[in-house]
Amino acid sequence: MRAFSGEMFKTVRRPAVWVCILVLLAIAVTIGYGLPWIVETYPPAGASRGLPEGTTLADLKVSLYPSNFVRQTLQQWASLGGVFTLIIGVLLQGSEYGWSTVKTLFTQRDGRLVMLAGKFGALAVVVLVAVLALFGVDAVSSAVAALLDGKSLDFPGVGDIAKGVAAMYLIFAFWAVFGVVLATLFRQSAMAIGLGLAYALVIEGIIFGVVGALAPDTVNPVRQWFPVTNAGYLAQSFGRVSIRGINEPAPYADATHAVLVLLAYVVGFGAITAWLVRRRDVTS
Amino acid sequence: MTVVTPTPAGAMVETHGLSKRYGDNITAVDRLDMVVRRGEVYGFLGPNGAGKTTTLRMLLGLIRPTAGSAVVAGAEPGSPASLERVGAIVETPAFYPYLSGRDNLRLLATYCGVPFARVESALGQVELLPRAGHRFSTYSLGMKQRLGIAAALIKEPELLILDEPTNGLDPQGMADVRGLIVELGKGDRTVLVSSHLLGEVEQMCTRIGVIQKGKFIAEGTIDELRGAATLTVRAEPAETAMKVLAGVAGAENVRVVDGGAYSVKVDLARTAEINRMLVQAGADVTELTSRERSLEDVFIELTGAEAGL
Repeated sequence: MRAFSGEMFKTVRRPAVWVCILVLLAIAVTIGYGLPWIVETYPPAGASRGLPEGTTLADLKVSLYPSNFVRQTLQQWASLGGVFTLIIGVLLQGSEYGWSTVKTLFTQRDGRLVMLAGKFGALAVVVLVAVLALFGVDAVSSAVAALLDGKSLDFPGVGDIAKGVAAMYLIFAFWAVFGVVLATLFRQSAMAIGLGLAYALVIEGIIFGVVGALAPDTVNPVRQWFPVTNAGYLAQSFGRVSIRGINEPAPYADATHAVLVLLAYVVGFGAITAWLVRRRDVTS
Repeated sequence: MTVVTPTPAGAMVETHGLSKRYGDNITAVDRLDMVVRRGEVYGFLGPNGAGKTTTLRMLLGLIRPTAGSAVVAGAEPGSPASLERVGAIVETPAFYPYLSGRDNLRLLATYCGVPFARVESALGQVELLPRAGHRFSTYSLGMKQRLGIAAALIKEPELLILDEPTNGLDPQGMADVRGLIVELGKGDRTVLVSSHLLGEVEQMCTRIGVIQKGKFIAEGTIDELRGAATLTVRAEPAETAMKVLAGVAGAENVRVVDGGAYSVKVDLARTAEINRMLVQAGADVTELTSRERSLEDVFIELTGAEAGL
């Protein structure tokens, strides 16, 4: 408890943590709702090109309304939002190496694993705050969009919202723990953030995306065990916004599979971090 | 793996064959046997790179020894039972730059389960109260060192481990920190302070251990390390002089030095008596010079280097 209280003490006072969360929220409002609403309300000429016959950009606005805000939030931010929690995870752990405060931490009173548990506890709280804030901001944004367009303010039921929050929490928790393990492995922040982003973008984004599109039968059985892909499966399990003429393929694996894989990564990365922290000499 | 062995009564730190090797070629600390007794200010002296910091890190559980054992404050180094009785600075004090000095100490007080009231008291002890509300990143090196000492004090530890606490300080800052360490060492508290500065150790410490290239090469009080003072005697005839000197100090304490003079290990209070005996024996005394070895002489003799001077 002492370790958790200490970690919370310094985490809530750290501007970088709140900057990350505020930037995520600002992007959620502008890119998630503001810009789409403007483009779909005042479409430039020829903007409907490429859409199915009879479908206009205005039809896409249904995704901006309250009834769809849970699946909209999940589908938009499972990966992009996760990057912000990756950064938070890296910062909370990597800065200890950058500032050499690891030696300060480990010479107080509790053992290394207790101190690490305190850090994971504080990280869990920060991630929860980020998820709740993201859902809160998206809910308000969707309500504003509906009010502007004179549409219904029908929100999903509390159970659906809670499931959405829990799913996003698991996804963000994976990203955050991924950040912690990378920062521990490299004992710094810069390389951890760089490699974390490179992994997500290059391996799971570009390589799996391109090769998977060309040879799905070969790639999907492998890809289904990778974390960012499963974050996508979990987000997609909440369903796609139904727009006439546009049909999205169902995810390759179901939500249960995705939850188990993501949980395995969270536990696995946490265990690797604990092993590294316990075994390594502190020389800086 | 460190194996805890019982600490003898009165020892706050005890190591047995403590070693740290990196790969096959680098031995940072080699079979160190050291005892720091309760209540003393113990100087851990050695040139840069001798293995002082590695040793202190092993005593704090930051580095695992590759061989040997250590008991610190009655428990395994780095264990909660040991840490709760030990305050430490290892090299440059490290704190969170975005927090004020006071908040950094409050953070450590939270980790240690110590009331915040101790923070103000520790800040007062190191005279940092006027700047306590400012961010750590704005502190000068001297203020950082003082904050480090305050951090080491908030637990009111029985054992203080300070690794080169005056490093980087200006002369006034060094004098202040030395004075503070002497104050802290009064009473029952034990202080283990490393340094490569002889004068510093001489001013602060009651006992000294000297390490070089990872090996412990001497340990004792300053007087013990200096050894007996010597008297240089030049007198003719040489045989008569030798006979008198051997009779006074013992043959084993008399040796011939350059130019036919004798170096005699003897209590310098007997200088006049020796002179009288030589004259009475018919010797012509042409030189009678007393010499006390400084700690610097001892250090150079032991390490073969003028490190830190």
